[in-house]
Amino acid sequence: MRWWRADLHIHSTLSPCASLAMSPARIVAEAHRAGLDLIAICDHNAAEAGRYVRRLAGAAPAVLMGMEIQTAEEVEILAYFTDEESPLLLQEELQASLPDIPCDPELFGDQVVVDEREEIVRRVDRLLLSPVDLPLSTVVRRIEDRGGLAVPAHVDRVPGGLLAVLGLFPEGEWPLAVEIAPWTPVAAATASWPGLGTRPILRGSDAHYPEEIGRAWTELYLAAPTLDELRAALRGEGGRRVRPGPELKEEW
Amino acid sequence: MELRQVIAAIGLTALVGADLAREVRDGYCSDLLSDVLAHAKAGDLWITHQRHLNVIAVAKLRDVAGIVFPRRLRPSPDVVARAQAEGVNLLLAEGTAFEVAGKLYRVLHP
Repeated sequence: MRWWRADLHIHSTLSPCASLAMSPARIVAEAHRAGLDLIAICDHNAAEAGRYVRRLAGAAPAVLMGMEIQTAEEVEILAYFTDEESPLLLQEELQASLPDIPCDPELFGDQVVVDEREEIVRRVDRLLLSPVDLPLSTVVRRIEDRGGLAVPAHVDRVPGGLLAVLGLFPEGEWPLAVEIAPWTPVAAATASWPGLGTRPILRGSDAHYPEEIGRAWTELYLAAPTLDELRAALRGEGGRRVRPGPELKEEW
Repeated sequence: MELRQVIAAIGLTALVGADLAREVRDGYCSDLLSDVLAHAKAGDLWITHQRHLNVIAVAKLRDVAGIVFPRRLRPSPDVVARAQAEGVNLLLAEGTAFEVAGKLYRVLHP
């Protein structure tokens, strides 16, 4: 086992709020520049961009299929998958329950899927930057039923952070781990939010622009950079563990 | 003012009337539960669109006089059951949060 550097929260050209420069080729190049071993592509309520990043990257970095799902409560959940079929099926279900608001590129930005040859393969018309019509508990269940890992995104942040929006952790075992915002010191987060310190803490860049990739990261002590190993580390199995990287010095 | 008087004065419906004699001192409007935890006061009537089960825990922690869901929004059965179990008043309003807050303000600050 060894330490691997992971950035598990990267947006692509498919997120309206992200730069059109966030193509698979640029994401992979920036991941190499940042020394990342494992990344996840997490667009708003959409998973399909991850396929193309994965094709291009090969094994370096390893690429998880991901999504950043906005629930009916307006809580944002990161969903991670190994296979491609499960997140693509979930994406279909989620997008069917989005409000029928067209994406005006002037107001929100473009929602385009770019492939590994820098070609636009699809444009998504319905605005992805809306909550799906499904409550948090249902979203988590659907992720887990399909073999995914559900981690609440930047829990301390408004908008979208689980603790900021819902004040407290929901009852029950979930979540196994949390992500905190790139600029929140771990000590400040655990001091502010009861229950946070008892769970593994991840940090992601939430990159919307190429230069933001790897600006914040998590170190993972694993046998290999895979979702199964990550899950084992979150459970503290066999000496595996996670360690959030340092916070950004100021809010971007 | 007693909650039952507020209900009559501004046209609310009690979905869970756990303690209609509860004194309403003031009001608070927010959908962010962390904000409610930090700023709502005991005796506030809390107007919110947020219907996650955590609203009941937050209402208890801040000791609010009740929760008002505007615009005919209905909480799910698990929220209603928890409110009954915890003795939290749940009220429904026809109007928007703005209308409910405006009416409540007039009643409490004539």
